[in-house]
Amino acid sequence: MDERTRRALTDIVGEENYTESLIDMVSYSYDASEHSHRPSCGIWPRSAEQVAEILKLANREKVPVIPRGAGTGLSGMAVPVRGGIVLDLSRMNRIVKISIEDRLAVVQPGVVYADLEKVLAAKGFFFPPDPASGKASTLGGNVATNAGGLKGAKYGTTRDYVLALQVVLPDGRIMKTGSRAMKSVSGYDLTRLFVGSEGTLGLVTEITLKISPRPEATSTALATFDDLEDAGHALTEVMHSGIIPSALEILGRETIRAINQNTDLDLPEVDAMILVETDGYTHGETDYQMQKVLDVFNLNNPREVKRAENQKEASGLWEARKSAYGVLARIKTHFVLEDVTVPMSRIADLLKGIDSIARRHDIQIATFGHAGDGNLHPQILYDGYDPEQVKKMEAASGELFKLAIDLDGTLTGEHGIGLAKAPYMTLEHDETEMAVMRGIKRFFDPNNILNPGKMALEG
Amino acid sequence: MRENDMEAKYDFERKYREQILQCSRCGFCQAVCPVYGATLRPALNARGKMLLLKEVMDGKIELNDELVETLFQCTTCASCFESCPSGVNVPEILKQVRKDMVHVGTCHPAFKGMNEVLKKHTNIYAEDEREDFDRDHNQKAEYVFFVGCVGLYREDESTEETLELLDRLGVDYTLIDEACCSGVLEDVGYELNEDLARKNMDSILATGAKKVITGCPYCFRTFNNRPQYGELKEKGVEVVHVSQFLKDFDFGVKTDKVVTYHDPCDLGRHCHIYDEPRETIRKIAPNFVEMRDNRENALCCGAGGGVRGAYPKNSIAMARRRLEEVEEAGAEILLTECNSCVHNLSNAKLRKQKFKVYTTTQFINKLMEEAA
Repeated sequence: MDERTRRALTDIVGEENYTESLIDMVSYSYDASEHSHRPSCGIWPRSAEQVAEILKLANREKVPVIPRGAGTGLSGMAVPVRGGIVLDLSRMNRIVKISIEDRLAVVQPGVVYADLEKVLAAKGFFFPPDPASGKASTLGGNVATNAGGLKGAKYGTTRDYVLALQVVLPDGRIMKTGSRAMKSVSGYDLTRLFVGSEGTLGLVTEITLKISPRPEATSTALATFDDLEDAGHALTEVMHSGIIPSALEILGRETIRAINQNTDLDLPEVDAMILVETDGYTHGETDYQMQKVLDVFNLNNPREVKRAENQKEASGLWEARKSAYGVLARIKTHFVLEDVTVPMSRIADLLKGIDSIARRHDIQIATFGHAGDGNLHPQILYDGYDPEQVKKMEAASGELFKLAIDLDGTLTGEHGIGLAKAPYMTLEHDETEMAVMRGIKRFFDPNNILNPGKMALEG
Repeated sequence: MRENDMEAKYDFERKYREQILQCSRCGFCQAVCPVYGATLRPALNARGKMLLLKEVMDGKIELNDELVETLFQCTTCASCFESCPSGVNVPEILKQVRKDMVHVGTCHPAFKGMNEVLKKHTNIYAEDEREDFDRDHNQKAEYVFFVGCVGLYREDESTEETLELLDRLGVDYTLIDEACCSGVLEDVGYELNEDLARKNMDSILATGAKKVITGCPYCFRTFNNRPQYGELKEKGVEVVHVSQFLKDFDFGVKTDKVVTYHDPCDLGRHCHIYDEPRETIRKIAPNFVEMRDNRENALCCGAGGGVRGAYPKNSIAMARRRLEEVEEAGAEILLTECNSCVHNLSNAKLRKQKFKVYTTTQFINKLMEEAA
């Protein structure tokens, strides 16, 4: 960073909240994707006013600003691919207000998801969209990616819970969107525009979230299917049962095999393993729902259906699903964790297609994910130091995206576009839609200082 | 070794390359790393450290002074390893990295100083006057009680009470002219001091005792795990921590105070000793409560890995986070099994925090004294 800009930035936040140290620059080069690039500096603002001053300066000097939460994103969204200022919001981490009466929580963007959950749990409430990274991820990051999670099928994603935002625009103006009222149709819905905008339009400095009473009871069951077709039908027909499970997870054959090779869980090596959870306020209620779901499964030739009799058994059933990420992460030096999403009736087609891609490219792809909302996680495992394997991985990714779109699905259900999927944006979005998106970007950020290079907005 | 592997420049790479590359950068360690928790600076988190090492292995950066601030700022509490889905053993990797750094002439001055001190003195504080606790040393006895540096030179009150408790229980023990176990040197880039190890083993073996009771979980680890102390085992000498030794005693005293327990990292995550201390505490304190983060998930007190000496401000900040959990649990007494934890937690305690901090043995002694 040049001396003049450095001085201006430290005037805003103080020396102790500004860094160019090598250790910070390396750390801010990465997120949880395979992308990396060094920034010029890192900065820890403490207030919306400081953020506004920083953006004003950056806009004037035309320096990129890359907002960052916990850096747990999987698509390179927080990677400073053009250098610039990494604006780490993790020190703006105050829970400003929790109002049970108004059914909302007001938080700063650096609050960690799990920390909010802890406070809400004590009041019998919860904030449902629960990304797997929730122990570390910040709510600002969750808003920027529109994070999902295991409970997506029943409870939706972050977007469904954001009532209002405070946003700093690239020119330094501070704007409030939305309302603390439960309902509002007042003007354009700018709140929803900012949720999932990946830090490309403005910087969120305060978030008002809708919260929900926490269901106390759950029922859990596991079903295995020898044949993928049967599993697919079972999933498609769950909706006919009239029940929306609070979790409906699937593990594919390759994932099951990997778990067996690396743990002593000794799972049946079937085409698909499906885990169901229903939730409610009494066990009578959750058991009733579960029975309806299992009735559907039983009509579709399951090899086995196991119902947990107590919490301990439920944890046992969850073990395979919970171990999936860790097991797969250890197999090769590198992996890409995708999040293609299709209409639920197409899940079996997606799984079959993924197997075929893996075979054709001779690369290992293990799949698990949220069958309840059609959001699967094919994890492509490869050695990033072997150029041949990198090529195969890239080719397989490309085909995977095409497959998802062909099945009327989407490139990304919850991880975002970032850098990783930017080259595929035009597969999903037509020319007109791309032009409108780029127009919106230009309107808010004419100098393209906010998180440049992401979401294919520069084409 | 270089002939076999021309590409690896450092030993850490030869030993741990695969493991470092297993780090998937998921950031789960960020949720549990005490240094990150106190500073909110991701470069100091385990993931930040693994990224630096990856770049060193990729030839993008060198192991040099610029990396000291993070690679030497880890309490080796192993919370990251405990919660890592990819099984990356960060504390073990860092131990090797620090050795490589010392080898190329870069190190935190505090640790360089510690190594120098132990060349000339028998304790990490370079103290010449030793507290002798008015007890015989180097006698023939059934047990040797090995205090450890912190208990000898910083928390001598706690040690005095522990010895009183052993007296009350009629334990036939002797103290010895002990030297620092010097295990900590392995954590901060150096080698365990063989002269000191020899001295300790000779003193222990001369007493004829078949069991050593350590007051310090770190000494306990060092005696049991370091090959330099292997002779103890060969000669049939068993080393136990005082919490293990005390679990079968009946003390005949109870407190109605609300008591909680802090798992020292060296006893808990490193040695998986979680139950014995709790069994003992439950006997004397029916109003036992757990803190929010306990057992495998216990928050580190911030003292380990040389951090208290090298980064005192952050060390105290870590202790404060732990003490907030004591308050939250509503405890009146905080017990732990490590003098180093007692030392750091006591130093960090705010005046408004009214609870007391003791080792379990010290507290039991107080109860027995009151009862008598």
